[in-house]
Amino acid sequence: MISLLHKYGKTIAIVATQSLNDAIWGLIGDFALRLFHVAILLSLWRTVMAGQGVVAGMSLEAVLTYTMVAAIFADQLSGRTRIDDDLWSGNIANRFLRPMGIYGQMLAEMVGGWIPGLLFFALPLLLIAPLLGVDPLPATWTAGLWFLLSLALGVAVGTALDLFFAACMVFLEHSVYALQRIRTTLTVLLSGRLVPLALLPWGLGDYLEWLPFASLASAPLRLYTGTGDPQDLIPLQVTWAVVLWVSAHALWCHNRERLVSHGG
Amino acid sequence: MAANRNLVVQVIRRWRVQAYLDFMWMTRDFKFFLINVVSDFILSLSGVVAVFLLAERFAGIGAWGQDQILFMLGYAALVQGLLEMFFGYNVLAISRRIGRGQLDHTLVQPQPVWMALLTEGFMPFSGCWGAIVGLGISAWSLGRLDMALEPGWWLCYGVHLLSSCVVVLAFSYLWSALAFWSPVGAEEISSRAIGFAWQLKSFPLDGLHPFLVHGLLSVLPVGFVAWYPCRVLLGIDQGAGSLWTTPIFACALSFVALIAIKKGMDHYGHTGSQRYLRWGHRS
Repeated sequence: MISLLHKYGKTIAIVATQSLNDAIWGLIGDFALRLFHVAILLSLWRTVMAGQGVVAGMSLEAVLTYTMVAAIFADQLSGRTRIDDDLWSGNIANRFLRPMGIYGQMLAEMVGGWIPGLLFFALPLLLIAPLLGVDPLPATWTAGLWFLLSLALGVAVGTALDLFFAACMVFLEHSVYALQRIRTTLTVLLSGRLVPLALLPWGLGDYLEWLPFASLASAPLRLYTGTGDPQDLIPLQVTWAVVLWVSAHALWCHNRERLVSHGG
Repeated sequence: MAANRNLVVQVIRRWRVQAYLDFMWMTRDFKFFLINVVSDFILSLSGVVAVFLLAERFAGIGAWGQDQILFMLGYAALVQGLLEMFFGYNVLAISRRIGRGQLDHTLVQPQPVWMALLTEGFMPFSGCWGAIVGLGISAWSLGRLDMALEPGWWLCYGVHLLSSCVVVLAFSYLWSALAFWSPVGAEEISSRAIGFAWQLKSFPLDGLHPFLVHGLLSVLPVGFVAWYPCRVLLGIDQGAGSLWTTPIFACALSFVALIAIKKGMDHYGHTGSQRYLRWGHRS
């Protein structure tokens, strides 16, 4: 058990430091983009909600906190592993040769990939949030605890969705890039990470909150801002996590023999 | 005059060849064709749909009415679509070619580098779907806007559209010049620069702090992708000289990018690519 934990720990450490060695320009560019993105979103919300009071149960302050926390935990709320990149580059073949399970490697690499972002983007952003006029604290301490549980469930749903899409990529053979883009796009739009689902027009949010994508970001963010009920949201997240992991595992096992790796 | 005409003919001929190759590539497999078309449509729409939904929910955004926002989103989608259609195959993301040593493949061809870059990335079949979405949204918004669309306005629209495309292209090339000095570290820098432009292109920047607005209209010129030109075209900004700002900025940025690329090429002339060395990157 200790040996296994050591392997995963090493994998996390390798991935965490790798991006600092090889792609420092990319990392700086990503953080700059994310900072501008959040600044623009905050100004957008201040513009559209000025003088509106509480809209669909959300005050301006709650929406600003929602946006800020979505930016701080963007990596966790998207729940992305690198399995699609591995399929794209052919690196998936190497994964099968390692003395660790595919899922374990996938999760360890995901956690390792979070670390530079948490240290060099999320933490500084959390600290400067009051300077941007945003209260980054949860609505209550209980809401903060529910958020942590919900975030973990969101990650479980996200990784299951990732595996599900990866299995579809294997099934469709040549279309890795297209499916990767569809998955990213659908997730950002339907998860409520960019715009709270409650603030969508025509009551769209009432339908979207039942989809698995809402369990990724909308549920934890609503709990954090005190605009969601944990008794409704947590059971829905647990249900989606179980259903998606079971079906994604089955689909992956079914398609595994179809996997062909051509290299990068 | 005859030489210029000859150049135009050569460019069109090369585009025709690329169009044929692109058609053959796109139609080799129906499943591949269908997935690419669907994903391109979804991607183009998703780039603008969040702001559209917000404008619908709040009956506009600040000084912008719903139809004006729609026009800006169509313009932004069209800029992205046109660049993807004319500068595919990593011609827009040129730092990838530089970093991977693939620029050599262009340099050995018996044609000027500028002509190769202008024509090699033409993808009228596989890359047109974003432009179609942009055209569709633009047509829809123009039908809803209460504006007199005279020939002068269309000329202004065309010049601004071209200028916005040039701004993104020049911005990408300016950053890409770094890849001449740092092929591995800056290989993906143009895709970051383009991603920056695409992700922020559809947001109205009116409510931002003036310091940030100036930054987004100079150092990181995302404001020129759609926001500023649309303010001018829709008459929201009627300040003196605003009509010329986008085209002049596009010319200035292109000039700076040209100097950077020229410097980079001079450096490349001395060092070459590591790609084909035994210890080289991607050898």
